[in-house]
Amino acid sequence: MAAVIALKGVSIGYGADAPPVLAGLDLEVERGSFVAIVGPSGVGKSTLLRVVAGLHRQRAGTVVLNASERPQHRPFGLVFQDPRLLPWRRVERNVQLGLEGLPVGRAERQERARTALKLVRLEEYGTRWPYELSGGQRQRVGIARALAVDPDILLMDEPFGALDAITRRGLQDELKRIHRETGKTTLFVTHDIEEAVFLADRVLLLSGTPARVAQDLDTRNGTSAENVERIRAGLAGDYEI
Amino acid sequence: MSKRTAALLSAAGVIVFLLAWEGLGRSGIVPQRLLPSPSAVPATFIAEIKNGQWQAMVLASLSHYLSGLALGSFLGIAVGTAAALWPRFNAFQAGIVRMLRPIPAIAWIPFAIIWFGVSEASAAFLIALTVFWINYFAAYAAVASVDKDLIELGHAFGQGALIPRLFKIILPGALPGIFAGLRAGLGQGWMTVVAAELFGIPGVGMRMMEASGLLATHIVVLYMITIAVLYGISDFLFVRVQSRVLAWQR
Repeated sequence: MAAVIALKGVSIGYGADAPPVLAGLDLEVERGSFVAIVGPSGVGKSTLLRVVAGLHRQRAGTVVLNASERPQHRPFGLVFQDPRLLPWRRVERNVQLGLEGLPVGRAERQERARTALKLVRLEEYGTRWPYELSGGQRQRVGIARALAVDPDILLMDEPFGALDAITRRGLQDELKRIHRETGKTTLFVTHDIEEAVFLADRVLLLSGTPARVAQDLDTRNGTSAENVERIRAGLAGDYEI
Repeated sequence: MSKRTAALLSAAGVIVFLLAWEGLGRSGIVPQRLLPSPSAVPATFIAEIKNGQWQAMVLASLSHYLSGLALGSFLGIAVGTAAALWPRFNAFQAGIVRMLRPIPAIAWIPFAIIWFGVSEASAAFLIALTVFWINYFAAYAAVASVDKDLIELGHAFGQGALIPRLFKIILPGALPGIFAGLRAGLGQGWMTVVAAELFGIPGVGMRMMEASGLLATHIVVLYMITIAVLYGISDFLFVRVQSRVLAWQR
């Protein structure tokens, strides 16, 4: 299976003189897989996602996205920690954002937005304003917006971090179902190890200064309690309050 | 206090004010010449309508007002947005702004008259100048404070180039602030209309100047009320439009 995302020797830092927060990272993500990246805060996992999305330039190394050449899609769809909806657009127009500028007609744009909203079970909410939705619903609109561009890769940056426990649990189930239905390669950043093990086929733990891959676990069939504990210890060791 | 009580109290206040004013005139404490009584205004209004002055002057003022307002608002928003968008342009224009900004628009009246004569263009120029600065600062602040996260969102979803970034993210995001500037300009614009016309440019202000020269103070009062009403109407209409355009705000 071909790697959809291939990172080689990637280093990340902020500012010119500061030491790198993350150094010499090699990572290959296979098509259709669900990879979770866990690590303590400040380890650079969100920035890593932004590097993959081209929103932050890496200091060294290469990032290759093997996206297919389809003119009517974007290579990746990004879901942020906050829903980040445009408050002046109704839900359906928010979902269409990434389709604008692609060779996609108006009717097809609307159709694809509807399909994406259906996938997150919000097909009835297309004409609402963002402020009329709950936090969980807004986050689902954010997911629909990322899916509407029919990306090869779904990039998710702690998408459920700001939600209450019950909503989070519900959305984790939804995301698992969506991944099963769409088969999108997913790179998912979280600091919640249970969430990572529940959702992903593979969990990477980043830790250290500068951060490196400290653990690389196959979690297709879950993982042992011992592994979870080991990762949790890795997380706790680096946590600063 | 309920909305209705508040409205009733406000109406009562206006009535008491008018009655006191009327009483002051009738009692002879203040001579009619110095303070025309409000009851003289309706008759004056009819007379001014009959001789066609009122319509002509209001139309002339409106025409200065609207052209000055349109020009000043557009340029103010454009330059303010550009300054907030491009640091290099911002630095380039900062000194010029600091130099010109403290000069009140009416201080430009001599030059307006030298450049454009005692003409419509003169009045429009002065109004545009007033309105320019208000909109310039409002647009600058509004554009500069657009959520950076939304701009990043635009980049992530292929709307990072200048045109989509400007029209899909920045300007809609800045719109509430830009509208606040437009509204403030709407009010300041009326003040400049009158100030400019006091120098003889045909319009409401000029008519007031003429009337005061003849001590026809009831005519002066009529036009003062006219200005208040015209401003009230334009502000009311603006707020209607604004609440439609900004319906997405809670």
